[in-house]
Amino acid sequence: MARATDQAEAKPGFLTRLTQDHARVFFFSLGKLVNAPGNALFTAAVIGIALALPASLQLAVNNFQRLSYSWQGSVQMSLFLKGTVDEARGRDLATELSKYGSVKSTQYLSREQSAAEFREFSGFGEALDLLDANPLPAVIVVTPLPGRNAAQMAELSGMLSALPEVELAQLDQHWLERLDAILRILQRVGLLVGALLSVAVLVIVGNTLRLDVEARREEIEVMKLIGAPDSFVRRPFLYGGCWLGLLGGWFALLLLTLGLFVIDRPAQELAALYGSSFRISGPTTSTVLGIVAGGVVLGWLGAWWTVAKHLSAIQPR
Amino acid sequence: MNNTLIQFSQVSHRYPGGAGDVLSDVNFELEAGEMAFLTGASGAGKSTLLRLIALLARAHRGQVVVAGTNLAHVKSAKVAAYRRQVGMIFQNFNLLYDRSVFDNVALPLVIRGHAHLDIARKVRAALDTVGLLHRERSMPLTLSGGEQQRVGIARAVVTKPMLLLADEPTGNLDPEMAWDVMKLFERFNDVGVSVLVATHAIDLVERLGKRVIHLEAGRVTDKRPVAASRVSLAEAH
Ligand SMILES: Nc1ncnc2c1ncn2[C@@H]1O[C@H](COP(=O)(O)OP(=O)(O)OP(=O)(O)O)[C@@H](O)[C@H]1O
Ligand SMILES: [Mg+2]
Repeated sequence: MARATDQAEAKPGFLTRLTQDHARVFFFSLGKLVNAPGNALFTAAVIGIALALPASLQLAVNNFQRLSYSWQGSVQMSLFLKGTVDEARGRDLATELSKYGSVKSTQYLSREQSAAEFREFSGFGEALDLLDANPLPAVIVVTPLPGRNAAQMAELSGMLSALPEVELAQLDQHWLERLDAILRILQRVGLLVGALLSVAVLVIVGNTLRLDVEARREEIEVMKLIGAPDSFVRRPFLYGGCWLGLLGGWFALLLLTLGLFVIDRPAQELAALYGSSFRISGPTTSTVLGIVAGGVVLGWLGAWWTVAKHLSAIQPR
Repeated sequence: MNNTLIQFSQVSHRYPGGAGDVLSDVNFELEAGEMAFLTGASGAGKSTLLRLIALLARAHRGQVVVAGTNLAHVKSAKVAAYRRQVGMIFQNFNLLYDRSVFDNVALPLVIRGHAHLDIARKVRAALDTVGLLHRERSMPLTLSGGEQQRVGIARAVVTKPMLLLADEPTGNLDPEMAWDVMKLFERFNDVGVSVLVATHAIDLVERLGKRVIHLEAGRVTDKRPVAASRVSLAEAH
């Protein structure tokens, strides 16, 4: 169809037009939000809670992991010496070992000292008295340097247990391994909760925008009447979804900050009781960006999902 | 370019759930650059016929060809692009009531991606043509029915479409305004726009002396409409 009148005037290029329209919709949808924030804020709060839950779980896991690393160094190792090793050799060995790279200090406990400790701490002291001879071996307690990771600890323990004088090297870190395993499970749970709540966010955004589409049905009809393409009609709603997600992400960060603020003091006190200077660390920059970007992406997806479904159902009469 | 712009061939239409055919066996042509009136009693099918041209409905039987395109072959994804070539003025205005007069008239240009300055200039020109330049900041609901009608007209002409469809565009206007609007359509027609106006304003139709397509119960007839002022007279005969 010829439109001589229109061809004379050049329209802006495709990219300019697209940018121009996106800028328009950006401010239009933002304006809508600012003018009628009630419903959107409520939705954003729900999204925020849904995002904050998995994020705080992740944060907890990260902190426990840091904690368990810092504990790893304070783990002690007990070297049970063979019966054939006499006290002088044992003391020499302890001194030798204390010069090792990853070892902070060593302490030699003779068989008598072992027995005394057993009597004092185990509560089974009388059992020893029933025996003719002291059955306990001499022990070297090895304290590694702090800040060793699990692999370095394993290497050290392997080397120590290979010593000819050593009957058995026992690392007191089984509970740390257990903690690690629990943390790994928690991490998985976090992912699962995250996935489920992401679906929840999609549904929340979808529902809010469905109501929005319903409320603006006449407007949509009019736009279609005068030839607006679907992409044009859809765009404000997609932006609306992004705004909801962005607000929700911010809200989640706010909740996390509040939570950290509340927990920080008692956690510090608890750490102080154990003589540790451990401080809870907040979310990293990438976590913060992840939460916000996740909110925006989920908002956009939720909007796309609903709007695609409901817009085509609206046809001008 | 003296060819056929709109061609109806044996077109019948019925609404789903409707009693019977609203249009039956309609045949007519509109030349490119022609202006014609569509008349007929209320319920004769004028709005329906315009809706078929604007692809707001698809003909049940027969062919509607516009500018060489058989509308039955326009895929639903292409309907919006097709509609952008047609300027339509609606019986019930169909304005956006949460946006200013200016924004309403600007909408077709925004959809087409015109530059901002360009939009402002064209919108003001269109509003000036319908005498509403001073109301550009008003909201449609603060306007009278006739003024809203004129906003709808400005919105339809702002893109300078090659075809203008108007459904009862003077229904809410005082006689003087109605005449001005009809003259406005004639001016558009003078610069090459094809115009099809459904109307009950028979006296204006007669004064303009353009072709009349008269519908009676969904059929095109050779009968001529009777002006309101002479209805009782005609019945007396
Ligand atoms: N959406 C619809 N569903 C069912 N029937 C309809 C629908 N729209 C119109 N009709 C019927 O189609 C017939 C023609 O309607 P149409 O609106 O085309 O008449 P018209 O000539 O424009 O009348 P008016 O001068 O009052 O505007 C009427 O009998 C009407 O009842
Ligand atoms: Mg009608």
